[in-house]
Amino acid sequence: MSYENYLGDEPLIVTAAVTGGVHGKEANPNVPETPEEIGRAAAAVEEAGAAVIHLHARKSNGERTFSTDRFQEIDDAVREHTDDIIIQHSTGGTGASDEDRHLPLRTDPPPEMASLDMGPLNRYDHLTSENTRGLVNSLYDEMQERGIKPELEVFNDGHRNEVFGLLSRRDLDEPVYATLIFGPGTLTRPTPQNFLNAIEDLPDCALFNTLGFGRHQLPFAAMGIVFGGHIRVGLEDNVYYRRGELAESNAQLVRRSVRLADELEREVASPAQAREILGL
Amino acid sequence: MILVPIYQLMVCPYLEYAGATDETDRTAFDEPRAFCTVIDEFVQPMRADICNDRYELSHEYHCEIYREHTDGKDEHAAEKSE
Repeated sequence: MSYENYLGDEPLIVTAAVTGGVHGKEANPNVPETPEEIGRAAAAVEEAGAAVIHLHARKSNGERTFSTDRFQEIDDAVREHTDDIIIQHSTGGTGASDEDRHLPLRTDPPPEMASLDMGPLNRYDHLTSENTRGLVNSLYDEMQERGIKPELEVFNDGHRNEVFGLLSRRDLDEPVYATLIFGPGTLTRPTPQNFLNAIEDLPDCALFNTLGFGRHQLPFAAMGIVFGGHIRVGLEDNVYYRRGELAESNAQLVRRSVRLADELEREVASPAQAREILGL
Repeated sequence: MILVPIYQLMVCPYLEYAGATDETDRTAFDEPRAFCTVIDEFVQPMRADICNDRYELSHEYHCEIYREHTDGKDEHAAEKSE
């Protein structure tokens, strides 16, 4: 993927990360948490132009759960409210056991995609989400068994090594889909130079998705559009629309990125086009 | 504010569950939510797992707020202040 892909009119896949597992309504009351809220958010982001929805599961009080049953309820709600959007489950979960991390893969039908974290991530001051290679292997193997496309989450430069490592350990279907994540802490420092280096340093078989945390969501989406990648936006990664102003909805963030793509003359992929690009 | 104490072993002693606050600019929730009485704020869902010592998490070890509030001051906070 490169600037040539942009010039070559490759449609842009917009992923909406609508809820996440870290913050909730205490950060922004518009974060959807219940299956019904997530279902309605899914309809709105699909209408706004998202082809993929990235999902976490919450209990009724907003707290995290990894249960297959809750993911099933959410998927059912999303399918009820949407036409064709691609469902992508998170397998992330700081502190959760390896067994819990597999549970989101076991819905019926399984999600078309699921996230696969490439390595450790620091949280707060005393917590690390480990994501060992053993867990990466076992999650990948179950995805392969169940026909789920992995979305490789690359938190930092070292995790690009882990992508190459996974490619050497397993026979991944092409194209490989890697989300490059920019922001504070363990994430790659959010600079244009680092973005260019990251997209240059991916395997040739990889497409990239661009994710900027917080205030970096908009500029990194712009870079993803121009440099022929794909983008992820949503309240999981950014609860603000602009400095000091909470976002009204996930759809508001998707609409802005679609307007940006439109101005930059990049077609936005429908779910069907996204399936073709991703090889689903 | 209505606070509901949690009578379970191991949870953080500063954890309460609150359904609403008297402050009009604060969110009221349909179900009681984890509330930290040290910082006087609702906490993030992932922090609520730490407060409750769920999964493999421990409030004594993983929560810098608890550590800073107890006698054994938080080492990381000390580093930051140097």
